[in-house]
Amino acid sequence: MEGIGPYALAWRRLRRNRTALAFGAVFVIVVLMCLLAPVYAHDIAHTTPSANHLTDKVDGKDVVSVAGIPIGPTWHGRFFLGADSNGRDVAVRLLYGGRNSLFIAGVATLITMILAIVIGVSAGYFRGAVDGVLSRGLDLVWAYPVVILGVALGTTLAVGGLNFGPFHLKGNSLMVPAVIIGVIYVPYVAKPLRGQVLTLREREFVDAARTLGLSSLKIMLSEIAPNVVSTLIVFIPLIVANAILTEAGLSYLGAGVQDPNPSWGTMISDGIRLIPSAIHLTIVPGLMLVACVIGLNIFGDGVRDALDPRARVRIEH
Amino acid sequence: MKRLVALPAVAAMAIVVAACGSSSGSKNETAAKSSATPAAAKNGGKVTLLMGTAPDYLDPQEGYTTQAAEFDWLSYTGLYTYAHKGGDQGGQVIPGLAQDFPTISNGGKTYTMTLRPNLKYSDGKAVKASDFTYTIQRALKLNWGGKSFFTNYIKGAAAYDAGKATTISGIKAEDSSGKITIDLTQPYGAFLNVLSFPSAGLVPTGTKMSNLSNDPPPGVGPYMIKNVVPNRSWTLQRNPAWTSTTVPGIPAGHVDIDAKIASDTQTEAEQVLNNSADIFDWADQIPPSLTAQVKSKAADRYMPQNTISTFYFFLNTQTKPFNNQLAREAVNTALDRSALNRLNGGNFKQTCWFLPEGLIGHPDGACPYGDPNGTPDMAKAKQLMQQSGMVGQPVTVWSETRSPRKEFVAYYTDLLNQLGFKAKTKVIADAQYFSTIGNLKLNAQTGFADWNQDFPNPSDFYLLMDANSIQQTNNENFSQVKDPHIQSELRALNPVPASKLNSVASRWQALDTYTAQKAYIAAFGQEQQPMFYSNRINFGTAVFHPLYGNDFSSIELK
Repeated sequence: MEGIGPYALAWRRLRRNRTALAFGAVFVIVVLMCLLAPVYAHDIAHTTPSANHLTDKVDGKDVVSVAGIPIGPTWHGRFFLGADSNGRDVAVRLLYGGRNSLFIAGVATLITMILAIVIGVSAGYFRGAVDGVLSRGLDLVWAYPVVILGVALGTTLAVGGLNFGPFHLKGNSLMVPAVIIGVIYVPYVAKPLRGQVLTLREREFVDAARTLGLSSLKIMLSEIAPNVVSTLIVFIPLIVANAILTEAGLSYLGAGVQDPNPSWGTMISDGIRLIPSAIHLTIVPGLMLVACVIGLNIFGDGVRDALDPRARVRIEH
Repeated sequence: MKRLVALPAVAAMAIVVAACGSSSGSKNETAAKSSATPAAAKNGGKVTLLMGTAPDYLDPQEGYTTQAAEFDWLSYTGLYTYAHKGGDQGGQVIPGLAQDFPTISNGGKTYTMTLRPNLKYSDGKAVKASDFTYTIQRALKLNWGGKSFFTNYIKGAAAYDAGKATTISGIKAEDSSGKITIDLTQPYGAFLNVLSFPSAGLVPTGTKMSNLSNDPPPGVGPYMIKNVVPNRSWTLQRNPAWTSTTVPGIPAGHVDIDAKIASDTQTEAEQVLNNSADIFDWADQIPPSLTAQVKSKAADRYMPQNTISTFYFFLNTQTKPFNNQLAREAVNTALDRSALNRLNGGNFKQTCWFLPEGLIGHPDGACPYGDPNGTPDMAKAKQLMQQSGMVGQPVTVWSETRSPRKEFVAYYTDLLNQLGFKAKTKVIADAQYFSTIGNLKLNAQTGFADWNQDFPNPSDFYLLMDANSIQQTNNENFSQVKDPHIQSELRALNPVPASKLNSVASRWQALDTYTAQKAYIAAFGQEQQPMFYSNRINFGTAVFHPLYGNDFSSIELK
């Protein structure tokens, strides 16, 4: 009987999980829509995400009334989902906002993963003083609630930007919230990773590698890392989903994406003051956020189930 | 005068309601009756004021925003102050801690006055004439935003401010007699108004020369600022030692005011509409989404008030790209004031002039950039941009976080990009905004600014165009205007006494027209502000002051 690799097996299991695939598809559709934002803006809505149309008319109606109330959805190419208080096309901002949210979540996840691997694997493998220093550092970040730490860093960096050695980020750069979110989620990945490495480093194949005279770096790369990849894969969709939510939260509180860049969080924040007369301004980005995060979370659960060692045992039987 | 005009109408409504035999006791009727037949003021109780923006400082010698003045003018009386009345009458200076109006001699350059006897601070300490000297010194040491009103006119104030003197030579105070003499470097017609600033409100000699916003010093007035939780809340507490006869014309308050910072103006307006808070801060705007509701559901406790104010974008004349007049003209030509008015819920009188309507010197000619109520000429603006050679220049546009100011700046940034600049926005927390853009080191290129009159005199507005008012921190001349013609006109116009302002009205008009032609700022609106209370408050007796908005000393419960 021909053997099958663990990842091929996981993929086979994932393909059988229709619910996870369906929600994964929802996320992919959202991503594709957001990637096509410039096409939609240019060829259908004929505007840009920051273009104000305060005194324009559409279908004979003011885009923003004299009293300051924006138009609701027209279901046409222009102002398909209505306008915001500045007369900007909500559909266009929604797609561009999604690009920004997804970009930040993507970069944040990358930062989280890289830092978590370096810190988690080093702490677990070397133990002792290295573990002590790194773990206390993680505890320090962990001790603060995510949003409070994010707001504190976000409001500080929004003005002065980030200047760290050779790295210079302007206050309104999308990289600022990405770095903040990336850093604050490191302990959530690094700590479980450290625990796993602590167990792995005592296994026979690691002892064998040591006996053969492999360096610590080589052992970590060739023996430890391949055994924690599945854990990391499970974490990726969850961290992306959380990063999207955190970005929205920070932007809502004014500590994330800075004007005039749109994001789903800033769109909800800007729409709050017009809820009684223009509820679409909060509902539309809110629904997009929910679709994206639920899609990722359920798909992430499916990935976790597919990679779960217990499940593999059951299938093999 | 707005409130006084409204009262007969409300009273007439009460008569009509009574004639119809209504016995429902509706809120409208109750309010109307209380206005028509004023009863004795009810003392006691506490009301909640919600503010969308915290004062810049609660320390009287540092506070310079509208929000700060609301509290400081009731807690820190100066030698002179303003009548506690609505409309034009509220702009009249009355003696505060001084016994009477000053004797002016030496060609308008020497002011002599005497302190009222037996005055006490809120902590019981006696008031001395030398406290006035100390107060002015403290305002200079703390870099008060309007300190150029002192340094430009009081002899020796500039030397003291520069650290070249240990006292202000132009102020002499005798504690034994209470006599105070102030020598000016040049006559200044609005000097009594300068002495009426809340920042000239006396504090005891020895008060720390540092920001005491978290624990404001004792003052002389019907109220005291207590229980400060920075940027969150504080209480304007009645001074138990103050009576309506302590200083004639300054009433003792009826209620204590709990001031709280609201998360946004939506929450602020909703809470006052639902009567879970009592006063909507006049410096905030009711969001457009709630305006209709407020007008219909709270018609008996809401009244928009005209203010002498100008909303504008400053254009830094000392740095690229707005050191170029054509670039500034392009901005003024392109600015769609109707668009900005929509962002403000239609609460603007659209303008291109710096001096607002209702103030002497407001030009009555045609705006140099086309009808402010019309459609802007974008083609001409773009042509001006090409001529300026500033296309492609990076611009940072500064903004507050609160609505609709953030929305003004979003519109403005988009407009600058349409003109060919590479503009981006920088948003600063409201409480830090003006001190941030007022820091000369930052050299802010452009951004939102507004000015509400400190006193009814065009020279108050022209502090913002006066080269002598430029200072390293808390600078108010955001455009950093240094124009010899303006300076020469100010030298001639500033000494004109308030009583003779009408005689130089045309000269002020010419100056403001010149300022508009030079495009030192891009003015866009004069605002109406809301007087909006809960139904617990007797709306009929409340005073809306032309300088300080809601006069808290007039607030009483029904």
